[in-house]
Amino acid sequence: MILAILRVMWLGLLRDRGALAMAFILPPIIFVIFAAIFAGASGDEMRLRIVIADLVDDASSQALVTALQRDEQLRAHADAAMDEPEVRRRVRMGEADVGVVIQEPLAAPLLEGSARILVIADGGRAVAGPMVAGRLQALIQRELPEVGLTRTVQLVDILLDGYTDEQRRQLTLAMEHADTEQAVEPVPLVAQESLQGQAGSDGAVNYYAGAVAMLFLLFAAMQGAASLIDERQSGVVDRLLIGPGGSSVVVLGKGLFLVIQGVLQIGLIFLVAWLAYGVDLPGNFLPWLMTTLMAALAAAGLALALCVSCSTRQQAQTLSTFFVLILSAVGGSMVPRFMMPPWLQDLGWFTPNAWAIEAYQAVLWRGAPAAELLTAWAVLGGVGLAALGGAVLIAHRLART
Amino acid sequence: MASATLRETAAVPDDSLVLRVSDLHFGYPGRPVLRGLNLEIRNGEIFTLLGPNGAGKTTLVKLLCGRFRPASGFVELLGRTPGESASARRALGLVPQEIALYPHLTARENLQTFARLAGVTRSHIAEAVNFALSVTGLDSRSGQQVRQLSGGYQRRVNIAAAIVHRPRLMLLDEPTVGVDIDARQAIQQLVRTLAHSGMAVLLTTHDMDQAASLSDRVGFLLEGRVDTQGAPDALLTQAFGDRRELRITLEREPAAAQQKALAAHGLAATADARIWWGESHAGSEPADALTGALETAGMQVRELRLRRPDLSSLFQRLTATRGVRR
Repeated sequence: MILAILRVMWLGLLRDRGALAMAFILPPIIFVIFAAIFAGASGDEMRLRIVIADLVDDASSQALVTALQRDEQLRAHADAAMDEPEVRRRVRMGEADVGVVIQEPLAAPLLEGSARILVIADGGRAVAGPMVAGRLQALIQRELPEVGLTRTVQLVDILLDGYTDEQRRQLTLAMEHADTEQAVEPVPLVAQESLQGQAGSDGAVNYYAGAVAMLFLLFAAMQGAASLIDERQSGVVDRLLIGPGGSSVVVLGKGLFLVIQGVLQIGLIFLVAWLAYGVDLPGNFLPWLMTTLMAALAAAGLALALCVSCSTRQQAQTLSTFFVLILSAVGGSMVPRFMMPPWLQDLGWFTPNAWAIEAYQAVLWRGAPAAELLTAWAVLGGVGLAALGGAVLIAHRLART
Repeated sequence: MASATLRETAAVPDDSLVLRVSDLHFGYPGRPVLRGLNLEIRNGEIFTLLGPNGAGKTTLVKLLCGRFRPASGFVELLGRTPGESASARRALGLVPQEIALYPHLTARENLQTFARLAGVTRSHIAEAVNFALSVTGLDSRSGQQVRQLSGGYQRRVNIAAAIVHRPRLMLLDEPTVGVDIDARQAIQQLVRTLAHSGMAVLLTTHDMDQAASLSDRVGFLLEGRVDTQGAPDALLTQAFGDRRELRITLEREPAAAQQKALAAHGLAATADARIWWGESHAGSEPADALTGALETAGMQVRELRLRRPDLSSLFQRLTATRGVRR
């Protein structure tokens, strides 16, 4: 009998093109968009737009402007008429992501004046400022070594309580003859390494595959579970309640369908992640499947428990949108949890999203053994079963009112 | 419709008792609904339950389906209690007022689903579905999705879904709401066919004409009991004899003094303050004299109708004499 309800749900989905697209086409598309955004954000694809005002206009500043314009990670625009107010205006108007104002000679005395370069970023693009600042440091070190040398000489003079006259004379002479064209590649003080996942997959892509999967899993489950309300209002449930299965069959049949739909839905997202971004799905298929089953069970249970408690579809839609957005925001489906304040990160553990995303990361990025995943599976499965049991009880109660 | 198929396959009809409801009491907190209701329906009988909104018809149907437990009294379906016996519930076919079907499924797929959920075994589903399609005249539409069918055909599928497991008692709630005259007649004929095959039918409706033309017996559910039950013609003869119903429509609502004058002529108010109702018999005041008297009292009579009383007349009388709000 449960299979009869499953068949009804399946045929209903197949014959509703809108619902079919929402369930199986939209999630992979949204995932691809997210992956493109966040994989690009950590790579070379961003190409920030910057405007430059060179208020100093000496050899060093001109060299820096040229270096910025040549840099392939930036789209730099500079012209002689540009001043600081104009730079601020353009950033504020969104015509540029970041403004760069060279406001003091780069090699000016170390303790005099203000910052040599001012980086102006819109508050709404806060991350762009530090990115350009870092890029500037790297360019100055590579393209204008004499600036760094001059500042180092001045720093040593201050810290070591001044040079002798003879030392100062020799330094000045040496500086005049310094070969700044010489290619010097010092061993960096700080090196950066971006860890790759199994099979070289991108961590951000892995993360967002799980994040988007959970978001759509919850939405699709809520949508499917809301059919309970339609059936109650149309009298279908009244008809079914006199059957031998009663309300339990209806709830469990829908639950089974939602789990299968969820597995297919997540499967499509990760299929795209495997084919387009190299996420190692085949190599971790069984733990991935187990995680997916548990996540789909949690989503189905929660959706059914919520929808069975609602008396109208509108009420269910309002509540489900509210819950899905809150769970997804707190659970890391929208913004990575490491970017959240600690208390919000802790709160995230009360959402299925956080458990599922972490489990997918563990499976597909770290290749974690099953033992490491047992807690996540138990939490997701436990939530799903408890919510499903609750939904059955509520439906049973409602049948007697 | 293929009634022959039904006759061949249905249980042999006799007049044994299918449903017995005895001294049934039920209520919601602070609101008693059923107060000692008694009802019996036999094989092949069409019983129509009439009553004002809120009288408890839906509550009674839920009690018959075993969804509620009686406060006292009992419901027996084929000698078993529906609330406790799945086999008793299996003897029920429910046709809700709404189109209680899956709109995106075809008629056949709907029937397959409801047959399975009613407990028909897999090996018998095809036969059960073909039976229901044939009886309801849906063979040619079985492959169409319900949402693509006309209102009349949707109503037929609604009934087919209730009989697909061949119940002994069919509960029909307003089965012809929103359908045209042809479809309504087809559905009424279908109900007769089902009853003729031996299926007992309990119909709840507000349509007095339908109740009169379709029912073997009718009963009025008033004040928590089935008041005045019997064959429609017998009830009308018993209640009205050779009297006629008098209905007067005034141009304007009568003032208080005019209302007293109307009452003095044996007329009672209806829900519409301009329409007054009474009974006329051999010794009654002639219509012309009554009209003259009312006009003398300052009332303008727009229409005066004299007709043979029907079930709505009886319903009106019963609710008026008991002060039941309709």
